[in-house]
Amino acid sequence: MKRIVALLLALMMLLSMAACGGQETTSENGSNTQEGGSTNAGGETSTEGGATEEGGETTPAGELPDYSTVMSTDNQPLFPEMVIKDFPERPEDPEALGEDEAGHWYDMEHAGWDAVKSSNLPTSPGDGPEGKEIYVIVHGDHPWTTAYTNGINKACETFGIDVTVLSPNWDVNLQNQQIDQAINAQPDAIILIPVNAESAVQQFRKITEAGIPAFGSNLLTTSAAMEYMIAWTGPDDWGQMRELAREMADAMNKEGGVCYLTHNPGGSAYFARMYGPRTELAEYAPNIKTLDFQSPGFDAAACKQVVSDWITKYGDELNAIFCADDSAQLIGTIDAIKEAGREDILVYAAGNSKTGQDYVKAGDVECINYQSAEGDAAAAVLTVAKWFNGEEVPPMAYMAPVMINAENVDSFYPCQW
Amino acid sequence: MPNSTNTTVRKDTRTQEMNKFMVIVNRLGIYVVVALLLIAGQCIRPDKFFTFSNINSVLQAVSLTGICAVGLAFIVYSANFNDMSLPMTIAFSGMVSVQLLQYNFVLSILGGIAAGLLMGAVNGFVIGKLRAHPIIWSMAFNFVMSGIVRWAWAGNQIYPDTITENAATAEQFYALARTYLGKSIGLQIPLMVVVMLVMFVIGHVILTYTSFGNQLKIIGSNYDVGRLSGINCARVVFIAYMINALCAAICGIFLASLSKVGAYYNGEGYDFECVTAVLLGGMTLAGGKGNMVGVFGGVLTVGLLTNVMNLLGIPTFNQYLVQGVVFLFIVWINTNSARKLGKS
Repeated sequence: MKRIVALLLALMMLLSMAACGGQETTSENGSNTQEGGSTNAGGETSTEGGATEEGGETTPAGELPDYSTVMSTDNQPLFPEMVIKDFPERPEDPEALGEDEAGHWYDMEHAGWDAVKSSNLPTSPGDGPEGKEIYVIVHGDHPWTTAYTNGINKACETFGIDVTVLSPNWDVNLQNQQIDQAINAQPDAIILIPVNAESAVQQFRKITEAGIPAFGSNLLTTSAAMEYMIAWTGPDDWGQMRELAREMADAMNKEGGVCYLTHNPGGSAYFARMYGPRTELAEYAPNIKTLDFQSPGFDAAACKQVVSDWITKYGDELNAIFCADDSAQLIGTIDAIKEAGREDILVYAAGNSKTGQDYVKAGDVECINYQSAEGDAAAAVLTVAKWFNGEEVPPMAYMAPVMINAENVDSFYPCQW
Repeated sequence: MPNSTNTTVRKDTRTQEMNKFMVIVNRLGIYVVVALLLIAGQCIRPDKFFTFSNINSVLQAVSLTGICAVGLAFIVYSANFNDMSLPMTIAFSGMVSVQLLQYNFVLSILGGIAAGLLMGAVNGFVIGKLRAHPIIWSMAFNFVMSGIVRWAWAGNQIYPDTITENAATAEQFYALARTYLGKSIGLQIPLMVVVMLVMFVIGHVILTYTSFGNQLKIIGSNYDVGRLSGINCARVVFIAYMINALCAAICGIFLASLSKVGAYYNGEGYDFECVTAVLLGGMTLAGGKGNMVGVFGGVLTVGLLTNVMNLLGIPTFNQYLVQGVVFLFIVWINTNSARKLGKS
């Protein structure tokens, strides 16, 4: 018995050591791609992009290869349509406005509106992306991040860029170490998803001061951080939530009560996915009343209890629920609604995991928003590639909002994560 | 030299009378708080609080915590503090279970339980036999398993309906957490709640009425006394970890079924949530104290408190505050009553 246990223990240790090294697979272009990677060891993934050759000819510098036909896992174009937003006029004192007024959140929604680019930003080499080496430092491990990494690898292959991906597993200190590691490697560029907006200023400044071009991705930072990056790309979380809220208001005939399951308090998604729809509804459908908002996290059982309590408390006053997540929160919500026999309650959610899409397809959820993890990554790589090419890149570009409903859900399968 | 003829008899002035309130508090323990919460709930929502659906919802919300807390109680009782590898035991069991759905449903359940038991066996051997520090080892083991699981599934989560080609098997798996009993008599009691209650009863019997339970109490109270009394301490601790792992595995399978996905993050937070419920129920990290009835009360308190706060419409930030204050109050009253009665 003791020997068997000892043998199993040794096997587990061996497996864990192997896990730290990552799993080697071979990608289509014959390069080595490490997937997964141990987070705790700062899981490292890399893709040898190699030269992109079409018909035996190397793509000349100054002309990017045709990327419009490259598709993501869900059969959508890998490189999404990007939108450059105009900043509306800033209120004199946003804090003085009420929380249900869009202006109150101006600095958060329109972060970067007053960013003045640092004079130390590196200039483009203008010799194209091919053969360049970049580092991508993500924020942490999550199935979404795995899909994002897939997008990075695909996009880098498209442009012949060699990429190394690092993950600090949501640890700011580890991310700082990885930034040092990346700077020491002297890559041609670094793409960074900061663990949090506050630490981003120091991080981007450090990269820029080392003479390496820095690009922001996904997480909207503060204006101070934007000064030290060449460009930022990512989802328009506020814009998407506003559009989702309008869809919900129309379905409710602009009347009734709504409850919100929020994202984790404090993060940018918390504000965008609660105050985005709330401020939009205050203008677009003022007769819709916010009944309650709670943050039970991402545990289906806890979310179910909150929704069951809402149904008990508000009864027929509750007409719609807006979820900040389309996985565990949505499962808890739908289970509670079905258990209470309240299928009349409309449900809307942010994100597009397989769970969310399956619910839309089944008719349990009216609408979710398309948030391509691979597209998010590809948008960042495309910006870097254009910059290497000497093209002018916008300081901020958002992925165009797309809604997923019963009519178009089938075109988004198979899901990215 | 003392003069024996002048010796006066000194009267023992120490009070022998016990504080009656403290006796009641100590006997009823956490159920005083449960009763207070029930009264509060009834006052807030007289028409809706004591309805079957509301109480059912509370029990359902804490059923997974409760199932895990039963197992963790054995660890706390044996003075091994907490099992920090609980999250990965839950996640690993769930993922193995979902992965094995490609063969058949029964194998998937058995495989999930076996995966959890394997982790329990490693913990039990290293902590019971090799006497590794329970917190440091289980935390390290959690990291190791976290790496293994990410490596094995390449950082992805797995969906039952994509793992198996048989849609009915996936539906059967989803139904685990959505099965209700007693429909014929007009009740809809979730299977998870029934499993939790059954496990509490079994846990209570094992802890209170078996020689293993007695041995665990001795080891929890004083390991050396247990060892010198001839108890095979390594074996007893090993069994405690196996029971804990079994409970975590069952929780992991239910959780994967409930969230319709096998994922490495599925058990996050359960280690602290469960140990909170166990400690609220009157067990102490020092071991050898408390019982399963109290732990059930601790689990109920967690669920009822959230329910009452939701019905009151208390925002999340304030809920954290209220929860903290209530939990501090419970720990204080437990400690205070035990001290006043000379039990600590």
